Formats: sequence, structure tokens, C-alpha cells
Amino acid sequence: MKHQQYETWILLGTELDLEQHRELQIHLKQCSQCQSLYQATHQIAHLFKNGPVLEPSPGFSTRWMTRIEKVENRKNRLILGITLSAISIATLLLLSSVGLQIRAGAAYLPQLMLEMITLVAKWIIFLNQLRDIVSPLLRVSMKLISPIWLYTLGFSLSGITGAWMISLFKSRTIQRELHS
Amino acid sequence: MCNTEQQWIAAAKTGDKDAFAKLVETYQKPVYSVCYRMLGTPTAAEDAAQEAFIRAYQALDRYDISRSFATWVLSIASNYSIDQLRKKKVTILSMDNEKHAWLAPPDPGPSPEKAALEKEKLGQIQSLLTDLNELDRAAVILQYWHDYSYEEIADTLDLSSSAVKSRLFRARRLMSEKWQEMQLPSAPPVNSTAKRIAHETSTI
Repeated sequence: MKHQQYETWILLGTELDLEQHRELQIHLKQCSQCQSLYQATHQIAHLFKNGPVLEPSPGFSTRWMTRIEKVENRKNRLILGITLSAISIATLLLLSSVGLQIRAGAAYLPQLMLEMITLVAKWIIFLNQLRDIVSPLLRVSMKLISPIWLYTLGFSLSGITGAWMISLFKSRTIQRELHS
Repeated sequence: MCNTEQQWIAAAKTGDKDAFAKLVETYQKPVYSVCYRMLGTPTAAEDAAQEAFIRAYQALDRYDISRSFATWVLSIASNYSIDQLRKKKVTILSMDNEKHAWLAPPDPGPSPEKAALEKEKLGQIQSLLTDLNELDRAAVILQYWHDYSYEEIADTLDLSSSAVKSRLFRARRLMSEKWQEMQLPSAPPVNSTAKRIAHETSTI
């Protein structure tokens, strides 16, 4: 067998069977290079196994507790900082956009306010007239229809009205843009 | 893994730092030992061991309970030490060097002779590990001091088993060459212990 194979056995620490072990021992007697290598690997293993036991200085876990507290405090401060920064940026963006909208629509603002007031007044008149017509009907129907259905109807009407007001506002904005 | 340890882990997962401190208390020695062998100084070892436990605590949600906690935390410590070596290129300092005498490990006992012997052995060990690259060093430490198999080393260091084998082969060759150099008469600081170990192992 070649010299290289014995060197591989020694350096890999391969588990050898009896025959291989005998073969290696014969080779070691003939080859000083392999013998030195064999002795060195065994001496190193012995040194490593019998070396001093290493341990940290007393109070390691207490020092760890202090350190983790610091790490967590730093992390919490970082999260708080990021949150506050995000809120500040969002507020700034919101205020800027509102400011820009007011600035852009300043010329139409009195007219818009007047239209809104007229609309509300018309609604009030309409609702008063409606009350006069509907109230006797309501008085009767309240006894017949469950209040849940009435609430649902009320919310639906409010929703439709809201949507209508928004669409009205948008259509007027578009009209103004077209005129300008 | 014992039930108490599982209870500590479960409690630590809910944010109980005192429970995790008990795990730190239990595994501080092997973790510190790995870091010391890797980085070579008590200061760096203390820092790396502390950091390894902090990373373990923060990553506890990802810890697989079926795996040994010791293996898991040692793999964190090994990988952190490898990163430190790569980043800072920490040099392992020879304990034989008088100017670094303050780096001696904790007092091993009352006998000054024993202390000197331990110091000399430690110096030799660190000397042998110095020439190895980070991964080879970690593989050697895990195999010699923690009895890891090739597969366990491969798992810890994220290598294949054959890569671990070849790294250990190369590491043993390098260490053997260094050891033989250390035994030459021109290397007086390590010669006496080397001879004594040679004598002790001559009967093996």
C-alpha cells in the first residue's frame, strides 16, 4: 500500500480494523515521517483533552441580564423613535396636502360654502315637509315595523345622501377645472 | 433534555428573562469555552459568549424544541465567533507572550506550579489553533472539545460532511506540522510541555 494511504488514515482518525491497525503499525516502524505524524496527532489530541477548563469570571449570568436589559431598552427606544418619526411625517404630509388644497381652491371657497349652506337649508325644508307627511304614517308604522328595520333604513338613506353630496362636490370640481 | 430545561425554555419564550438566565448559567462554560478557543482572549470570549446568549434569547421563537439546546446555542456561539474573526481579524494571542500575561484564564488553583503548567498548555493550544482559518478552527474545537460528529459539525457550520472531513484533515496536518516545529530545540517556551506530553502519550 502507498504511503499516502497511511497518512490519510492518521489524519482522518479513521476507525481501523485489526488487520488495518497491524498494517499501520508495520508501516510506522519503517516510515519515520508517518511515525512523527502519528505521534503528533496523538499528542495534540492528548493536549486538547487535558488542557485547562475554561470558564467565565463569576457573575456571567448577572452581566447577561444587565446587557439584555440595555439591548431591549435600546430596541424599544428605536421602535418608539421610528413610530414618532412616522407619525410626524404623516402629519406633515397631511397638513401640507390640506394646505395646498385650500391654497388651490381659495378662489372658489366662498361659492362652495354658499352652495353647501343652500343645500343644507333645502334639506331642512324638505325634511320638515316630509315630517308633516310622514309623521302620521310613522306613528302607525312604528307600531307595525321593528325599530331595527327603521334604523337600517335611516342609515341607508344617510349613506345615499352622503354619496350624492360627494358626487355633487366632485362634479362641480370637475366643471370648474374644465372652465379654467 | 430535562423537564426543568424545557420549562425554562417555555418560560423564556414568553419573555421571562430570569428563566433564560438559568439557561445561561447552565451553558455558560461550553459557550465561553468555544468563544475563547475561537477568539483567543478572555475579553473577546466574554463579549462573544454574552452576544451569543442575547442572539439565542432573541431567536428563541425559531428554536426547534426537538433539537438539543446546547447544540443550538453552541452553533450560535461558533458562527458569531467566525463572523467576529472575519470582521475584525482578531489575532489569537500567545499566552506565552509575557506582554499578554494579563490575559491568563481564571486562577486554576492554589498551586503556582499547576497554574504555570495550565498557562503553558493553554498557550500551546492557542498556538496550534492560531494558524487555522475560522471554519477549520471551529470544526476542530467542536470535534475535540465537544465530541461532535462530522454530521453535527456540518449542521452547525452549514457545510457538507465531506467538506468537514477535508477541513479536519487539513487542520490536523497543519497542527501536526506546527506541533513538530514546537518540539524542536529552537522553541524553548513550549519544549518542556511538549516533551512531557510526548512522554505521557508514548504509552498510548
